[in-house]
Amino acid sequence: MPIIQTNALSRTYISKTGVIRKQKKEIQALENVNLEIESGELFGLLGPNGAGKTTLTKVLSTILLPTEGTAHVLGLDVIHQAREIRPRIGIVFGGERGLYWRLSAMETLKYFAALYHVPPDIAENRIPALLELVGLSDRADERVENFSRGMKQRLHIARGLISDPEVLFLDEPTIGLDPVASREIRHIISDLSAEGKTIFLTSHYMYEVDELCQRVAVLNKGQVLMVDSPAVLKKTVADLEVVEIDAIGVTEAALAELQAHPQVDALHLEPRDLAQGLIIQSPDGASRVGEFIHILDGATIQRVITRQPTLEDAYVRLVGPEAMKT
Amino acid sequence: MTRKIKDNFRALVSSFREQAISRATDNFFIGTLFFQPVLFTLLSVGIYRYGGKPDLSLYAVIGAGMIGIWNNNLWTSGSIVQDERRSGTLEFLVASPTSLEIILLGKSLSNAMASILALGLTFATGLIAYRLPLEIQQPLAFLGAILLTLVAMTMLGMLLGSLFVLARAAGQLATVLNYPIFILSGLTFPLTVLPLWIRPLSYSLVSTWGNLSLASAAGLASEWTITTTYLALTGLSALYFVIGHYLYRLIDRLVREQGGLQQW
Repeated sequence: MPIIQTNALSRTYISKTGVIRKQKKEIQALENVNLEIESGELFGLLGPNGAGKTTLTKVLSTILLPTEGTAHVLGLDVIHQAREIRPRIGIVFGGERGLYWRLSAMETLKYFAALYHVPPDIAENRIPALLELVGLSDRADERVENFSRGMKQRLHIARGLISDPEVLFLDEPTIGLDPVASREIRHIISDLSAEGKTIFLTSHYMYEVDELCQRVAVLNKGQVLMVDSPAVLKKTVADLEVVEIDAIGVTEAALAELQAHPQVDALHLEPRDLAQGLIIQSPDGASRVGEFIHILDGATIQRVITRQPTLEDAYVRLVGPEAMKT
Repeated sequence: MTRKIKDNFRALVSSFREQAISRATDNFFIGTLFFQPVLFTLLSVGIYRYGGKPDLSLYAVIGAGMIGIWNNNLWTSGSIVQDERRSGTLEFLVASPTSLEIILLGKSLSNAMASILALGLTFATGLIAYRLPLEIQQPLAFLGAILLTLVAMTMLGMLLGSLFVLARAAGQLATVLNYPIFILSGLTFPLTVLPLWIRPLSYSLVSTWGNLSLASAAGLASEWTITTTYLALTGLSALYFVIGHYLYRLIDRLVREQGGLQQW
């Protein structure tokens, strides 16, 4: 039996707008999500901001109830058996919130060990081991308020592991971290996966999911678009070539013309310091470079490369370039 | 069952400890705990002393101490939840195997114990500033009154905490109710100055009975015996506990239905 299973899972939020005459607005955060995750799998959930990744994580970790459908974790119903699930899972959200800033790292882990009913004799050994795992042993007695963002994130992971959970939910664990800190977190995740833990990882960093995950689900606007391994996802864009052009002074008219070009499958933009990065997916991109540059006449071209498509390109094709702007 | 009790007790003690550490470095908490009782004592005793009612000085000291206890429990118990929301930890508490009720009980207890300091400060202020003869007729009964008041305040803090989980604007409501509670409880003026029709409301408040219990044990004239005040405090504690317990069971489902634990 899958260790995580959802069946037609949906979640709607009600928000209110207006000051005097308030109006209710329904937001469909998740719609008909069907997923099966096996024990020991490192499963990735990719999606742009607002896709529903955090909502799905919260439903599976019993923080939120679904409005329709079912979800089971460890064979237990998240709605009716939340109390049985909670001791066996760990939850880590990205960002600086979620810690007691006036406690030290050691005090934080001791507190959560008590909340997670970890016997004192086990906690006594486990806490130093976790601090060692996340590289905070020599900062154990310092207050969290003095920690860098990367250190706080590592403490989050240690806190999420305090009960030695069978399933670990990591919601954007590297968000806002510098490349070195991100790499450290990915190493930790990789090591945990090697130990056999089931890990549910959400991210909007394609390279992270490509590097770590055995399977990936792509989520957009609350719906799962595709579930497969990163290699298979990349094959969906195997018919494409990618042209990357870094340019300064690209006009809206030029962009519109590129977008409308019959041989342009997708175009999305990325900021690149002072320049704009144009990522063009095309069936024969390499032979069309001259045409694309001609359209950008007037702009200063800094760099042009052609390459094979990556997981990111597959993702863009699935969710659409507009989703990349969020 | 024994394992469950031990686990919950450990979680309660840890929550108590975490709250004590966090509050010890919180300037707002230090202000409500230290400065407010001192200021209220100076003002209250001064009003009675120089207003021709020096015999009410001890009453004013006790009332000021109760204000400190009330503020400490109202604000800090309510702010427990708001602080957890603000720091993003409320979701983790809800998602933990320990019930939110146990966690907030530990934290409320920590606040209540700290508020004993408020009472001590009001007596010290009365002694130092006004050289009041602060003689407690029945010291053991006074101690009993303090303990029962703190238990009742803890239960009230738990109840308020549950309301603060459900309603983010509850803090504003608490601000509005602050001074009406002081007056209704007889903490600033004796209950006898209030009209008869409003006194049933006064007698429904734990702060009223806490004040009466302390005053009675101190030897101040009161229409209520110490035993009656003890019974009232015990009864109110039980009532708050039952209501709070029911609310927490409701809360676990409501917050998961509505979401919003991370919003403040």
